[in-house]
Amino acid sequence: MNAGACSRRFALTAAVALLTGGCAWDGPQSSLAPRSDFGREILYVYAIVTWATAIIAVVVFVLLAWVLVRYRDRPGAAPAAQTRGHSLLEIGWTIAPALILLIIAIPTIQVIFRTQGRAAPGALDVEVRGWQWWWEFRYPALGVVTANELHLPIGQAVVLHLEGPDVIHSFWVPPIGGKRDVVPGRHNQMSFVVDTPGVYDGQCAEFCGASHANMRIRLVAETPGEFERWVEAQKAPPGESAGPAAEGQAIYARLACVGCHTIQGVSGGVIGPDLTHVGSRRTIAAGLLPNTPENLAAWLRAPERIKPGVKMPNLGLGEADARALATYLTSLK
Amino acid sequence: MNPEYVGSHPAPRSAHPHAGLAVPTTAILGSWLTTTDHKRIGILYGVSAFVFFLIGGVEALIIRAQLARPGLTLVTADTYNELFTMHGTTMVFLAIMPFGSAFFNYMVPLQIGARDVAFPRLNALSFWMFLAGGILLHTSFLAGTPPAVGWFAYANLTRREYSPTLGVDFWTLSLQVLGASSILAAVNFIVTILNVRAPGLSFMRMPLFTWMTLVVQFLVLLAFPPITCALIFLMFDRFFGTHFYDVAAGGDLHLWQHLFWTFGHPEVYILILPAFGIVSEVLPTFARKPLFGAPVVIYSGVLIGFFGFGVWGHHMFAAGMGPVADSAFAIATMLIAIPTGVKIFNWLATLWGGRIHGTTALHFAAGLIATFTIGGLSGIMHSSPPVDLQQTDTYFVVAHLHYVLIGGSLFGLLAGAYYWWPKITGRLLDERLGRLQFWLIFVAFNLTFFPQHYLGAVGMPRRIYTYRAGAGWDLWNFVSSVGAFGIGLGILLFMVNAVRSLRTPATAPGDPWDGRTLEWRTSSPPPAHNFDAIPPVYGRDSFWREKHGPQRTPLAPPVAEHGIHLPAPSHWPIVLACGVFVAAVGALVHLAWVILGGLLALWAAISFALEHHRNPAHEHQVGVLGIDHRKVGIWTFIGSECLFFGTLIATYIAYKGRSVVGPHPHEILNIPITSASTFDLLMSSLLMVLALAAAQRGDHRQSRLWLAGTAFLGLIFLGFQAYEFTSFVHEGLTLQQNLFGSTFFVLTGFHGAHVALGVLWLVTLLVLDLRGRLGVADSVKVEIAGLYWHFVDIVWIVIFTLVYLVP
Repeated sequence: MNAGACSRRFALTAAVALLTGGCAWDGPQSSLAPRSDFGREILYVYAIVTWATAIIAVVVFVLLAWVLVRYRDRPGAAPAAQTRGHSLLEIGWTIAPALILLIIAIPTIQVIFRTQGRAAPGALDVEVRGWQWWWEFRYPALGVVTANELHLPIGQAVVLHLEGPDVIHSFWVPPIGGKRDVVPGRHNQMSFVVDTPGVYDGQCAEFCGASHANMRIRLVAETPGEFERWVEAQKAPPGESAGPAAEGQAIYARLACVGCHTIQGVSGGVIGPDLTHVGSRRTIAAGLLPNTPENLAAWLRAPERIKPGVKMPNLGLGEADARALATYLTSLK
Repeated sequence: MNPEYVGSHPAPRSAHPHAGLAVPTTAILGSWLTTTDHKRIGILYGVSAFVFFLIGGVEALIIRAQLARPGLTLVTADTYNELFTMHGTTMVFLAIMPFGSAFFNYMVPLQIGARDVAFPRLNALSFWMFLAGGILLHTSFLAGTPPAVGWFAYANLTRREYSPTLGVDFWTLSLQVLGASSILAAVNFIVTILNVRAPGLSFMRMPLFTWMTLVVQFLVLLAFPPITCALIFLMFDRFFGTHFYDVAAGGDLHLWQHLFWTFGHPEVYILILPAFGIVSEVLPTFARKPLFGAPVVIYSGVLIGFFGFGVWGHHMFAAGMGPVADSAFAIATMLIAIPTGVKIFNWLATLWGGRIHGTTALHFAAGLIATFTIGGLSGIMHSSPPVDLQQTDTYFVVAHLHYVLIGGSLFGLLAGAYYWWPKITGRLLDERLGRLQFWLIFVAFNLTFFPQHYLGAVGMPRRIYTYRAGAGWDLWNFVSSVGAFGIGLGILLFMVNAVRSLRTPATAPGDPWDGRTLEWRTSSPPPAHNFDAIPPVYGRDSFWREKHGPQRTPLAPPVAEHGIHLPAPSHWPIVLACGVFVAAVGALVHLAWVILGGLLALWAAISFALEHHRNPAHEHQVGVLGIDHRKVGIWTFIGSECLFFGTLIATYIAYKGRSVVGPHPHEILNIPITSASTFDLLMSSLLMVLALAAAQRGDHRQSRLWLAGTAFLGLIFLGFQAYEFTSFVHEGLTLQQNLFGSTFFVLTGFHGAHVALGVLWLVTLLVLDLRGRLGVADSVKVEIAGLYWHFVDIVWIVIFTLVYLVP
């Protein structure tokens, strides 16, 4: 992080900066490092409330420290002044906080309506479904279905449609903006325009059971060109498997995997994540592990060790079968 | 100064002929199990709360140990989820609330110059039911299935398909028992504060702690019914297959959230206002000057209580209520910050110009000003929905809630502990050790929770059993965990201080701090009868004015007492609580136990009600308002019942038209027949009026006739309802059939249960009357039964209109 970026951020969030250490506030999961219009609108209000509350805090602390020291009991101290009240003072310190709250309220209401308005025409619609404990992303207009890794183009309006279907989850990628609950039976949505390419992290933010902590989101924001290429790759059916991957595909086809997962042209299960292009993802198991053959094999052999309570059964795979499967899945780019 | 004891009670234990000689342990145990003395009940609450507080604290330490480093496996994910659920539930319901109750119980009667609360046996019942609820919750540990759904247990995670073990059932049942305990205590304390004040103690002259207690009791009375309903819906979904939180059947998961937070937000004021009350007395006492702007502090407490019912949606800013609702709740939340914040300035102005004695109590009170300011300000940040969308469900809000609950509630309660310890135990806590303890806790607390604001801001959500390395969260999680153990050490020091103090002789004076309020006007600890004579009142800070002027004459003539009547011990409260406990556990085991426990509770309740039926000392219970305690009590209870039925009716209306399958209301409701049963119930109210008039003029023939008539018409109504229910079932409408079945049967079923209880009540009165034991002096009992009956009748009119008549 260069000094220029650091000092700009410092100007916006100095109150927070003074009281914390480290610059993880610029990390990929930080709410203080916005990368979309939604995130920036929020940070604008965040800065106002932080300054306002910091000023009030300082005033109160200074007054408290002062009265405690100045009026402490000591030999020769004056007797206590038996004041019962002072109307003007009390009116004053009722109006002053009210004014400060007005300073907070006005931008708050403005930003609420600006960020919950209707999306711009031509927005990219993405359906987000929260499952225990992974994320499903569907792009209906583009014919793409994927899981856990959300690719979005920068500079284009995006509308996330948040729909159940099991328990309440909450979709949260802090650099993109605030969180919104995924409530079965209700339709929530979030609209924003990402402005900076990069990879951003998020995770489920509403307690949803055993592995709530293990339900991460990878948001990959890319240029429109890169996004187009990704979409094409995701729409394309997987090629013929060859060599070791073919062996893995054969194992896949005869095991229970086909009941839960979809791989275009091979299986049509809808209980677990779509695996058609799982090899193209950076992580597996909803962001828990880097996507390598070794990690895939470990996951396949004992998913419950990596994700407690996971719905995917342990199929009792041997070492060789797991490797073969991992090779096949890695090949699904 | 020996008080004379009249009435048919045996002399209280303090005048026992063997006092001073060795008393057998069983007698001591028995006296505690049957006590109705508000001071002992306060101690029982305090000790129990402390035990649960330690359990909740251990849970917190395990949580922080697990989070000290990324990827630790000290506990499994399931255990961690159980731990934070139990920690939150225990600290809110079994620690902070009962600590408050301990102080209300001990101090409020003393502060208002009373000898005890309005209903001492009901007071004992509240305690034993609280203990039953707390033990029931912790029985889940013994069963190996503590709840793991978080202390606010969002549906539908709590439905059987997602939480199949008994954990959620333990949680639901124990909260119901705790809720009942709290509502009974609320009725009791409202009647006490309204009706048992010493002469001359007008409302604006009452001490701040008593005022805050009054507001808290109204909050409890009106906030618990919504969560009672939410829990009933959950219990019915889990036990009986209803569809309240079943999305596929048309249920709305926001129902749970709205009902829970309609309770949950007033609950946080229930948790903080006692601490505010304590600080509002500790600061003036040790600054040697009055509370600055006392009337305004009182009004702001009342305003907070009132408006606290209008801000619950700020817990749901991420839930998707829409921009208009978000804005409305945001503004309401900001508005409520004003009376809250203004108190801080009143407290600072109290210290200003004072002569501040740095006792431990003062340290905690002053510390609260600092830490509650931080907690309140982070609350202001949360009041802005855009900001809250980043902060809610993260460690930022965990920091906020602990700043207000520990830095606010706990610090206030610890100030109260140091302040009132001499009054309760007759000994002083060591001040040096106390100040050391304060600084240790103050520093450790800030070390634990301040970094959590940062952790939330940089993306760490709450309720996660672990986190990955390299997210920038490692250092401050570790620091936070170290701090947590520091808090534990501080609590340990408090225990050391307490134990050491209790080993010293009880020689503390009645007024060690040159206090301002009436509890200091009697010995430490007070005698069983509190005051030898009801204290005269000189104004606000009455005792201070009596000692230091300027008021030199009491504001009201002294009470003419004919001896002192103390409440007798009773075993019915604990027996009733046992019955409730058995029934609740039975719900998880076998129906037979539910019936057994229910019968035991019913028998105990009737015995409780009739225990002092013929006691002349209990005949007239008219208080300061000029109204009998029991009438004030039933009106207060009816207030909570309004919220209860209001919630059931609102749920029915909210779910109207959402059933996915039939039968639908217009297809099945029988208006003509129900009109007849409605008419029948209306007529029963008429007969009730006649019964009361007859009882009041001593016309036994007529009172028996009309009591029997009312009960009979009530039974006819129930007969109509039984007919209706069975015919609906035959036509395919059951509890489980659809949303209409679920809401209809629960609403009308609970109303029917209220009618049935009313019939039982009337029959009891009738039996008494038939045996010639319902005299004119007992007409107030008929009157309160009548008020209940009329209320149940009015509720039916509303139900009939909204469910049957409105299309």
